[in-house]
Amino acid sequence: MAQSNHDQTAYIGYVVGGNLKDTLSVRLTVPPQQIQEGGFVVIESDDWQFYGLVTDLQLGATDARFADEQSENRLPAGLAKLLHGQTLFTNLQVLPALMLERGPNPHSLRYPAWRAAHPEDPTIRPVKTIPSHHAPARLAEAGDVAAIFGKPDEEGNFIIGTTREQNHPICINLKKFIQRSSGIFGATGTGKSFLTRIILAGLIQADQASILLFDMHNEYGFDDTASDTNEKVTGLWTKFRAKVRVVGLGRATMIRNKQPDFNLELAESDIMPEDIEMLTQELNLRETTPATLEALVHSFGRDHWFHRFMNLRHGAVIETADGKVVPAPDSVAAWAASSGVNIAAAEGLHSKLSRLYNRSYIVERPAADGLGAIIQSLENGQHVILSFGQFESDLDYLLVTNLLTRRIRAKWEERTNRYRSEGGNEPRPLVIAIEEAHKLLNREMAAQTAFSAIAREMRKYFVTLLIIDQRPSQIYDEVMSQLGTRISGWLGDDADIQAVLAGLAGKDALRGMLARLQPKEEVLLLGWGVPMPILVRSRRYDQAFWDELLGKGNSKSRNEGDILKELGF
Amino acid sequence: MIEVGRLLRSSINGCVVGCKVSQENVPEFGSLVRIPITEQPFYQVFALVYDIHVLDDGLVRQLVTSEGVPEEVILDNRINRNVPLELSALFVGYQLEQEIYHLIPPKPPLALDAIYPCLQEDLCRFCEAGRFGYFRHILRPADLPVGELLAAHLRDVNAAQNTVGGSGWVEAATREVITLLRDDYPNLMSVLSALADARLEYSESL
Repeated sequence: MAQSNHDQTAYIGYVVGGNLKDTLSVRLTVPPQQIQEGGFVVIESDDWQFYGLVTDLQLGATDARFADEQSENRLPAGLAKLLHGQTLFTNLQVLPALMLERGPNPHSLRYPAWRAAHPEDPTIRPVKTIPSHHAPARLAEAGDVAAIFGKPDEEGNFIIGTTREQNHPICINLKKFIQRSSGIFGATGTGKSFLTRIILAGLIQADQASILLFDMHNEYGFDDTASDTNEKVTGLWTKFRAKVRVVGLGRATMIRNKQPDFNLELAESDIMPEDIEMLTQELNLRETTPATLEALVHSFGRDHWFHRFMNLRHGAVIETADGKVVPAPDSVAAWAASSGVNIAAAEGLHSKLSRLYNRSYIVERPAADGLGAIIQSLENGQHVILSFGQFESDLDYLLVTNLLTRRIRAKWEERTNRYRSEGGNEPRPLVIAIEEAHKLLNREMAAQTAFSAIAREMRKYFVTLLIIDQRPSQIYDEVMSQLGTRISGWLGDDADIQAVLAGLAGKDALRGMLARLQPKEEVLLLGWGVPMPILVRSRRYDQAFWDELLGKGNSKSRNEGDILKELGF
Repeated sequence: MIEVGRLLRSSINGCVVGCKVSQENVPEFGSLVRIPITEQPFYQVFALVYDIHVLDDGLVRQLVTSEGVPEEVILDNRINRNVPLELSALFVGYQLEQEIYHLIPPKPPLALDAIYPCLQEDLCRFCEAGRFGYFRHILRPADLPVGELLAAHLRDVNAAQNTVGGSGWVEAATREVITLLRDDYPNLMSVLSALADARLEYSESL
């Protein structure tokens, strides 16, 4: 690898201390305002190059009295400046992440022997040693960023943003990104939705996986309006009409006054007892619920229990011939008595499930097999955005997402097992994007939802999650530990910061950085999916983004010929 | 070059020089002087004047208490005094052939060796040899007026550079003084106070 050739003005300081476990200390030789937290720094030490992140800046003095006393009031300005230059200093704390043995200068006498000992080009690897004292440090250049994060024009690389100081592009490898579940975090209003749109657009364009997005607030499919700026926000369907299907929950649901591609209705027979158990907290169900559900399945069968239970009458009584008042034969109480179930428990469950009975998207016989159509679209390489329309309650979100994901999980497991035993085409990778993930993936729900199983196991079956959430501390630890790439905007809560950094090296050094990110402008990229933690100035989700992603002229509506061509006709 | 005096006594650290009071070119406090010792090989010692003593004798002590001492008597006792003006000088380096070293001289000069003032060219050449190594000789003794001495010396060098040519030396020298004294806050601030009073010019855009 060619030796870097930097003049002395490129250097910002030199190493004065530190250790491998924590951070390195770099004495700044430039004014501290030129360097900011999160800066990407390269340290050159003999034949090695070390890459790290600035995590702290500290003022210091050779003697505290130099800092305490304002000698500029006692001495002429020029003399005071000389004094300060020698006695007051700023140290950077740099979290080392990667290193590269670049070898001596190719023109030096040592190079041939070194090259003979290292016939293969050296590769960047996790840091295992530290630079020497006084090793010079500089800000990373475009070549350094490209060497670590990949070149933007290489296949599979997607520009997620730029370095803050010098605007060098930072890429994520989308193929690696989808190999494990990922997370996008940040407090409310920090730009998570825009970042999600950017990443999803990249994934759709790269065609590495199918995407199923649960769009709880109808933000992603059709064009939207930003709540703070009132500017138009382009929807994914607008730009990818041939690839993206917008599905509305409920028969006549309109999304942003537009007709979705099709509507989803759930059959009563689709609802399984485990779907109801998952709603324990939401519906305030009692501990007798599992027993009651089991009895219902036993009585009416797995496919019909919901319909039959729904049609039982609550509190219905009849008068017998001898004047006694007894539960009617079609009452909940009568069934409970005949099945050996506690009557109060059964009636209580029936009453609480009335919130589901009233949902218009749960019908006995849906007009079409919406669930099947969604799965079919995903298998065919299309992307589905399920918009919830007016059904924005937690109950709807929990029920529908879990039910659909359970079906998908089963489908993908079946296809993967068939592929592994019989060969054929590898199943199409699938990314399930869920907002408000803490509602589905908290500790209490984790054992009950299909999502935690996906987070834990399903990468073996080509299914991963993309979690979008503002309260990562409420997500089950085990799920968080499975996340590969984590992209985090500003977080204010200590518990949330700790959750995002859990299991990562250098988390203590990175903690303060998350609380000082500029909302809507900066994110921290970290985790297995990226070579090293890096602070990124995120891209703007604007016409320039689409021009770069899709080529110029994409703002014009495409004609039918273009669409057919894209579909393969 | 007119000699300014002759050596009275010396050690490896410094010497005391005797001068006639009437001499117009008696070196000033903080000035650099040189003491040639041998021609073959060429060897001379450089020293910095750090003290000037005017000692009394028996006649002067009597005249001080007398009333109405005539002017000519005063002049006579100044010009024709038996006791010389004494200069104390600190050795700061030496020259052997063409090379200048900021080290303690290997051999001190001997009694009655002649002392000469350094011209501005000599001063610049001495100061620009090496990297201010001779400052440690100035800073080492506990009983020197370090701040005043450095202020006077830097002012001399600054004037010489303005005449002969060269720039940036005073700032570099000040930086070196700060580096050497930054663990001794009281001394450093005292030295900087003296440098401030010397009214040297420092760039404010560093």
